[in-house]
Amino acid sequence: MKEKDLRFKIVDILLVLMMTVPIILGIVLQVMTEPPASGVQITGARIFFTIPMPLQDFPVTESQVNSLIVMIVLLGFCLYITHGLSEKADLKRQHLAEFIVEKVDSLVKENMGDFFASFTPFIISILALSALSSLLSLFGLYPPTSDINIVGGWAVLVFVLITYYKLKAGPLAYMKSFTQPVALLTPINIISEVATPVSMAFRHYGNVLSGAVISVLLGTALGGLSSMILGKLPGFLADIPLFQVGIPAVLSIYFDVFSGCLQAFIFAMLTMMYVAGGFPEEEYKKKKSQKASKIKKIN
Amino acid sequence: MQSLDVISVNIWQMAASLANLVLLFLIVKKFLYKPVKNMLNERRSAIDNDYKDAADAKEKAVSDMKAYEEKLSGAADEASAILKGAVDVAKSREKEIIDGANEKARGIIKRAEADALLEKQKAREDIKREIVEVSTLLSEKMLGREISADDHRDLIDSFIEGIGNGDEAN
Repeated sequence: MKEKDLRFKIVDILLVLMMTVPIILGIVLQVMTEPPASGVQITGARIFFTIPMPLQDFPVTESQVNSLIVMIVLLGFCLYITHGLSEKADLKRQHLAEFIVEKVDSLVKENMGDFFASFTPFIISILALSALSSLLSLFGLYPPTSDINIVGGWAVLVFVLITYYKLKAGPLAYMKSFTQPVALLTPINIISEVATPVSMAFRHYGNVLSGAVISVLLGTALGGLSSMILGKLPGFLADIPLFQVGIPAVLSIYFDVFSGCLQAFIFAMLTMMYVAGGFPEEEYKKKKSQKASKIKKIN
Repeated sequence: MQSLDVISVNIWQMAASLANLVLLFLIVKKFLYKPVKNMLNERRSAIDNDYKDAADAKEKAVSDMKAYEEKLSGAADEASAILKGAVDVAKSREKEIIDGANEKARGIIKRAEADALLEKQKAREDIKREIVEVSTLLSEKMLGREISADDHRDLIDSFIEGIGNGDEAN
């Protein structure tokens, strides 16, 4: 029994390390490779190295590395909260696991209906990936969600899902749905279809990036303000960052924590709305019953 | 070190992040969703079983109680039936005994009466004989002579017979 406890504890420690070490390594990497900042600089992710690929080279950037960090941390988190899972709920972390699964389950059922009940793990992963990616900026790391490519990839996946569920009622019904309510609106319908993933990607990316931009601008402005007021003082007194203390932290709560979590939630909500909204449930059921009757006839 | 532009679209990066999301979906499904769901289902079935057991036990208790109650009321009936039977038996027995006693008493009385009658007759015979002897003796003495015994005896007998009959007639 005691040996089992010991093994359990060792696995626990390893999982906690799995959740913390990647972030620490990311910070170390950031500190080691970041060039000294000079003035206002708003750039995209830094490129570590580039892999030559057809069509376009594949630059392995900070956002890719940080995405990997997030993935490892989330894998560790999943394993940690389901470690020692039992019917009797012996461990406190089990309540967290049940809370997450049941809350997202009810959210999915509420917004998408029972047909899409299997979407729960996908929504959980979108929420977790997006929120944790945005929250990486709290550790001073580059948040992958402020890279259009990362969020764009997710939006493309959502678009694929939307189209897949729209095609469930058959390709003809899918084509026909563009001419609704009048054939004249077909081009606009096509544009709006394509605009869905683009708007989703830009909304998320824009929110996170604008937070970062405002943070940089504000930090610089506050620095300028303090040097303007204290600059005339002699010696080291001129370098006291009077206004840079405290004020950026308050803004960070909004731009990093609140905005990051909110955008994750919005992205997940939009995914659910679009996928469930595009799914022609009645036509699908009609088609299914037709198929079933056909099979019956053959038999 | 180089940086990307703030807006720079790269399809390979997009593909990588798409693959990341799919991978994370699989991770979440395998390591979080399925275990938790399985555990919840197991818990639900365990709770359902508990409820079912409780319902079964309750049903059994109710049926047991009904059976006991039935038995109890049956026992009261039985007891009264036994009592009634006993009373009946006792009554018939009582009658039997009384009848038997009466009969016996009657028999005894009859026998006594018969005995008494017999005694009476016997006594009468004795008296008759004694009277005969006494009268024989008396007549011998009074007459002072021996009369032929047979003659006298016949005479006296007829006389006595007359007396006895007359007595009896009275």
